[in-house]
Amino acid sequence: MGERGFHLEKEIIPVKFAMVEKVLDLARANSLWPVTFGLACCAIEMMSTSMSRFDIDRFGAGVFRASPRQADFMIVTGTVTKKMAPVLTTLYEQMPSPKWVIAMGNCAISGGPFVFEGQYNIVEGVDLLVPVDVYVPGCPPRPEALLEGLLKLEEKITGTRRFPRVESA
Amino acid sequence: MSGIAEEIKASVMGAEPVEVSYPEKGYHCALETSPDKLPDIVRLFDEKRFYLECLLCTDYTDYLELVYLFNTHLSPCRVKVTLKVDPQQPVAPSMSSIYASAYWYEREIHEFYGVLFTGHPNMTYLFLHNDIHDYPLRKGKVPVPPEDKERLDSFKPGEQEDTFFINLGPQHPSTHGVLRVVLKMDGEYIEQAEPVLGYLHRMHEKMAENRSYQQFLPNTGRMDYLGPMSFNLGYVLAVERLCAISVPDRAIFVRIIATELNRICSHLLWVGAYLADLGALTPFLFVFDDREQIQDVLEGITGSRLTYCYFRFGGLYNDVDDQFIAGTKAFVKRMWGRFSLYEKLVTGNVIFVNRTKGIGTITGEQARKYGVAGPVLRSAGIACDLRKVESYSAYNEMEFNIPVGEHGDALDTYKIRIAEMENSLRIIEQALAKLPGGPFMAEKVPKKLKPPRGDIYQVVETPRGELGIYIVSDESDRPLRMKWRVPSFSNLMIFPELARGMLLADAVAILGSLDLVIPEIDR
Repeated sequence: MGERGFHLEKEIIPVKFAMVEKVLDLARANSLWPVTFGLACCAIEMMSTSMSRFDIDRFGAGVFRASPRQADFMIVTGTVTKKMAPVLTTLYEQMPSPKWVIAMGNCAISGGPFVFEGQYNIVEGVDLLVPVDVYVPGCPPRPEALLEGLLKLEEKITGTRRFPRVESA
Repeated sequence: MSGIAEEIKASVMGAEPVEVSYPEKGYHCALETSPDKLPDIVRLFDEKRFYLECLLCTDYTDYLELVYLFNTHLSPCRVKVTLKVDPQQPVAPSMSSIYASAYWYEREIHEFYGVLFTGHPNMTYLFLHNDIHDYPLRKGKVPVPPEDKERLDSFKPGEQEDTFFINLGPQHPSTHGVLRVVLKMDGEYIEQAEPVLGYLHRMHEKMAENRSYQQFLPNTGRMDYLGPMSFNLGYVLAVERLCAISVPDRAIFVRIIATELNRICSHLLWVGAYLADLGALTPFLFVFDDREQIQDVLEGITGSRLTYCYFRFGGLYNDVDDQFIAGTKAFVKRMWGRFSLYEKLVTGNVIFVNRTKGIGTITGEQARKYGVAGPVLRSAGIACDLRKVESYSAYNEMEFNIPVGEHGDALDTYKIRIAEMENSLRIIEQALAKLPGGPFMAEKVPKKLKPPRGDIYQVVETPRGELGIYIVSDESDRPLRMKWRVPSFSNLMIFPELARGMLLADAVAILGSLDLVIPEIDR
């Protein structure tokens, strides 16, 4: 386990096609495929997000893949236990690059309500295992929050935000 | 209570059962025994057709106490059998040859307390992993001795001629979370299934011992996130019983409405998820539409969409408003019209029927041996619904049926769950009609609860079946021990037996029909 917030070594690409990369990024951002990876309570809210009312398909991210090899990003939905940690790392490593991770819910961010003195079984934050791009807080976060996290991820990939941010009244 | 105390006295030499007050304790009879008499007593219960409801361990520092809870399905007669174990050399005889469910409970106790059960065939890790160096639930720091560690770590699936092993999970869409089942396959057929749990063990029982009664309330909703109201209800009922807090009528009825709404919500999700397992994604979209309506209604009073923590000791978090009542009525009206849609969409579907009929058939005897609960138990033809059999809150004032199955297969569990939703709607309608006014919270509930010394067992019927909460208080503000007897755990126990000799695809259909919620199993 590394320190909190570590980063993977940057890939060295000898030749860079700037425009091509930009076009590819745009394509990636508009069709992000998540891996079907439900851990706990937040997984149900992830399901809600992908179902009738919230419909994550509107953002091109509704194609949940059961295999990590076909996925672009992983939503870590719930508590990561020490027993689960190696499995999660394996799943992440099986995903093809470029890949992203959304930590959904307080458990995935920091261990959430399950951190107490003498705890013996949970990983206090999934960023100790894999690099995390977007953190979505909540216990569990509302589907709208997950959608906002998705937009944030798109913004990270392309550099621009697809929809204008709604200012609170 | 059918004179079980006398029967025990007559059959087992030197046993001294004590009858206790059921309203205070939650069980009818208590009996202390010694290791040599235990097998005789357990065999007697087996003959009398009791089922092993729960097996748990409590650490009293000076000694460890094993608690065996036996019960009968249709006329509640709960007997608590206790056995004291030396904490230095914790050894007890295994009951796994008599009750299949003991096989699992004993493994759990061995991991968490270090009690060695002699005669148990497989004392390997079930929940934990070999990175844990002390027994987690022991009060002092008790390291795991090397020989025990070796024993715990000895489960190794190995290759054999003609068979191979595959892992179903922990990341698999049909396991609904993080359950891992190691399957020994002979071609496409399952020879042996070995569930490996603990991928979501969140230490709820340890947390319970580390915080006050109120502070533990939010945990209950996170244990079973599909039926959090039932878990909430069970916990507040247990503590109210322990501290003798009375609840105003209005709160009781609102609790029933909220719990039943949540039950429908849970069953709906099961219908969607189960059909998705079988390859039909369309119903998933329909059930989520209905679910969102319930969540809107409940969000209005609880403030959250999923992990509710709405009940308080002595009442509710806040009162319901007209909007809730109107919303509930509108939902009930809408839902009555939806069943015909599900009927057309699912029930008559030939693919669905062919995939579930005759799959995972459970007999009444199997159900008893494994202590299965809820719709799975009722599919075997046993009309045991704790809302009726061991009524709590005001369920005895409600009129509803207990749907039972004929064949005990996966199709029956589907039919039962649909019928249960209809019954839940009936209960909601009655509760709304009877909803009294008045306060929603009892007066004078102390801020810091210090229940009197003693133990208590409280059961409620969750969407998945019998939930039992066993609390031991030592007069301090935090419980000495809190054991959660969860329905999914006992339902999963029967899976290896059901899966034997089945096709892999059918195993998924069986696993789905059990309606497992993994965080509840792992706790």
